[in-house]
Amino acid sequence: MANILLNVLIAFLVGSVLFGLQRKIMARIQMRPGPPVIQHLLHTLKFFIKESSFPKTAAMPFYIAITAMLCVIWVSAVIVGPVTEGSLLLIFAIYAIHKIVEHNAGSSSGSPYGKLSCVRAVFSASAEVPLFAVLIIIYFKTGTMVISNIINFQATNGPLIYSIPLAAAMFFVLILSKAPYSPFAITKGKDIISGYETEHFGLLRGYLMMSESIAWYMLLWVFLTVFIGGLSPLWYLVGMVCLSVIVAFINATTPILSPNHSIMMQVSFAIVGIVGSLVLLLY
Amino acid sequence: MDIILLGQQLLGYIPLGDIVLYLAPLNLFMFAGSLAFTTLIAISRTETQVEAGIGTLKDNEVKVNKDEFKIRRFLAIVCGLATAGAMITGDLFNFTLFVCLIGIVNIGIVSAVKQIDVLDAAFQYGLVAMIAVLPLFGGAAMILASTGSLSMLEIVNIPTNAMMIFGSLLLFLGVAGETGVAPFYATKAEMFRTPGSPFLLIIHLSSLLVIIRVIEILLIINKPF
Repeated sequence: MANILLNVLIAFLVGSVLFGLQRKIMARIQMRPGPPVIQHLLHTLKFFIKESSFPKTAAMPFYIAITAMLCVIWVSAVIVGPVTEGSLLLIFAIYAIHKIVEHNAGSSSGSPYGKLSCVRAVFSASAEVPLFAVLIIIYFKTGTMVISNIINFQATNGPLIYSIPLAAAMFFVLILSKAPYSPFAITKGKDIISGYETEHFGLLRGYLMMSESIAWYMLLWVFLTVFIGGLSPLWYLVGMVCLSVIVAFINATTPILSPNHSIMMQVSFAIVGIVGSLVLLLY
Repeated sequence: MDIILLGQQLLGYIPLGDIVLYLAPLNLFMFAGSLAFTTLIAISRTETQVEAGIGTLKDNEVKVNKDEFKIRRFLAIVCGLATAGAMITGDLFNFTLFVCLIGIVNIGIVSAVKQIDVLDAAFQYGLVAMIAVLPLFGGAAMILASTGSLSMLEIVNIPTNAMMIFGSLLLFLGVAGETGVAPFYATKAEMFRTPGSPFLLIIHLSSLLVIIRVIEILLIINKPF
């Protein structure tokens, strides 16, 4: 239990600070001073002590439960990932439920911005889920779906990023799509205010932001673990910072795409990545 | 119990005649997830969509009326239970039946709505779902013909042959059409514009969870090693 709590706490703190780092780097690239690196963390904590209010148009108690559900699934991901090094397929299932929660957090408030975010979440699932199917390619390469066995495979045969680079690139695109301000972040585009978070205030927003930080940490953790191998905590931190810096550079220099372009681009990446990886596996 | 499926230790199985339910961590997680969401749907109200009126300063409120609410909630619960069943069944034929039921109730959930665009989307999705029935059951039948069993616990020990791969491809096509995933998502996404967030959740939930389950099933049938 202590191990779970410790890992969840680390995931939350590291994820929050990495989000802050991203915003800082993006600001510096755009010639702005930017907020402090710990701004995202402070922002999240602030919402936990703010007054909570609920729209009278919301679908109760669905509207409240869905945010708690988001927290629960990412805590589950920490248990399956860093704590027990369990099944990748289970992390795939958790990601799928995350998409569902993202979709319904938007539609349950009754706000038109949330509704648009909900429809975009459904669209984006058609592009993000194939990207996540990269895990199947890892199974074809390593013969296992268990993270601890994948780590052992890499200890013997070298990092997977060298043998299935296209799969790693696809997973990176998935990570990019979950970053705020990314070209693929259509569910939270500024044209729809804050997307599915628009009508979530106080405690509920705190939960959403906390879940996002844990989700960010987990996606980076999965990338580093399944493509580079088991690392020491320091190297995990270095790897996560490097990935976040790369994502920040991309986000700072690219505009957000329209929903259709975003989906088409991600689907194109998925097709090239899946076919290319299968060809690489055959040779 | 010493059965391992895709690296998962089987925790147990419940033989109910030919309906064998198997309990592995992934399946239990998805089963519990489906039931949790179904419970939530059963106890929730629907939201009221507020939209700006055209040519006026007033807002338009779009609500789900009581009759519509009752039938859509019933169908959403049936869909949730069918999804939960599809998550833990260890029998390929039962899986296809559950998926078929999910397709039918998904159309039902949105066809109770009185919005032309949404009904058009439901109609198009219905056509795809009906067409997908043939490869869905055809794929399962081919796997039965080539292995002599529909039980995943038996199939996992049978070496893969060409007919099993062909049957798997048909099965995947059937599930893709029945659940309306890519490339059929564009049609299905239009259905989400209607109010009734808790009911729409189950449409999305069933699609994504069934896709994960079918990936697990396909990897059990087609053993690359």
